[in-house]
Amino acid sequence: MPESQAGVLDRARIELGISQSQLWLLYFALGGMSAEFEMEAFLVGALRPSPHDHDLIAHALNELFSEHGRNHPIPYLADRQVNGMTKFIERSAPSSE
Amino acid sequence: MSFDSSMSRDFQITAGVSDMRVVLRFSGDLDATSAIELSATFNSYIENSYGSFVVDLSDLDFMDGIGLRAISDAARLLRSLNRTLILRSPSVSIRRILDINGLADFIRIELGQVDPLRLGRVDSLVASGTRLSGAESRGIELGDNSLLTIPISFEVLDTVLMLVVNLVKISLARADGVSVSLFREGQIRTVAASNQTVLKMDAGQYATQEGPCLDASTQGRLFHSRSLEEETRWPSFVPIAQSLGIRAIISNPLLAKSRAVGALNIYSLAASAFGNVEQRLSSDYAKEISALLTRTGVVLSANSNAKSLHGALASREAIAQAQGIIMERENLDKEAAFDSLRRLSQDDDQTLLKHAIDIVDSTRRPANDADQSSGGPSA
Repeated sequence: MPESQAGVLDRARIELGISQSQLWLLYFALGGMSAEFEMEAFLVGALRPSPHDHDLIAHALNELFSEHGRNHPIPYLADRQVNGMTKFIERSAPSSE
Repeated sequence: MSFDSSMSRDFQITAGVSDMRVVLRFSGDLDATSAIELSATFNSYIENSYGSFVVDLSDLDFMDGIGLRAISDAARLLRSLNRTLILRSPSVSIRRILDINGLADFIRIELGQVDPLRLGRVDSLVASGTRLSGAESRGIELGDNSLLTIPISFEVLDTVLMLVVNLVKISLARADGVSVSLFREGQIRTVAASNQTVLKMDAGQYATQEGPCLDASTQGRLFHSRSLEEETRWPSFVPIAQSLGIRAIISNPLLAKSRAVGALNIYSLAASAFGNVEQRLSSDYAKEISALLTRTGVVLSANSNAKSLHGALASREAIAQAQGIIMERENLDKEAAFDSLRRLSQDDDQTLLKHAIDIVDSTRRPANDADQSSGGPSA
């Protein structure tokens, strides 16, 4: 994960005013399987989370943002992959040739 | 001649004579409780028999370090009587420990028809806090860590580490104290210690911010001080250790998923106590503990209070159930099922858990409706 993406997650956590332990518990509640120290490493960019782990953390943060009236501001990697594939399909479609 | 002797609820010895040799066949779990009685039984059988002495491990499910010590003591006793201990069907890990301890020279090994996965590995047995079935052990051997990526509490992990610490102390004849220190919540702490001296030794390092334990924990490599009298690397810590009578220290790094997270620390009251054999053995134990730390996956935080943890576990369960339903309905994998739930949550701004509960409930409704229509009890 590029450092900027790790930065996005940690900045969001700080903005929401929750500790790394609190974020880890939210992530764990969603089904996350990484240890707390690993999340710490994800957030400082020392370890690369899997795309699924990234999205679990992003969703844990996004649900908190939703409580403050902000609709899922942190992007999901799975959506980017889907969008990337969509663009590829559009480019490859006969109508676009 | 054949008779049974119950040593504990699970552990049993079946004694017999075959080819003019006494054969003790172990079955069940050989743990600390049964090992004490085992030593007495060993001595009794050795005293009342002649010639080679066979210990058959082919039906043994589990053996800890204390059990191994009882066998080693019996081997030494037999050797002093010019007799040989024959160990039949020991697991690979037991053979390795015998070899490292120099016991393989006077214990003869007979490899029988043994399933190599039967005894599993020490780390696999302790990782989950429970004994694993054959299928689960097989999963470990194949490198499928997902089976062991399980959430456990610090309390359970530390209990296991306490067992390992005692195992290391027993295994290294010249070790006078052993500890495990781990980073938790940004600070290094001693989470398992065999005695007060090693606790004080570790505390001395935390106070002075220097020492082999800290260096191994942060640099991820072995630090060995053969003789503290000649040690120059940690000028503030060394006098503290010396005041405790410590003369030699070895600290092996502990790694979780290749990241240094702590150290296995061993000290001796004798200088130059740790040679190549001890270094190899301590390194092997550190690797086993590292495997345990990696496989435990999720370590529940001490900060997580029981109520929030209970809620988190209930949430996980509901989400996992919903994921299972989506996986089956839509032929998706687990992560895609999560994405599906997550998009539902994103679309209508309801929590993912709420959607998960709705999905799980949706599978129950038809059964309830059927009960009602057939005159069953109303919900």
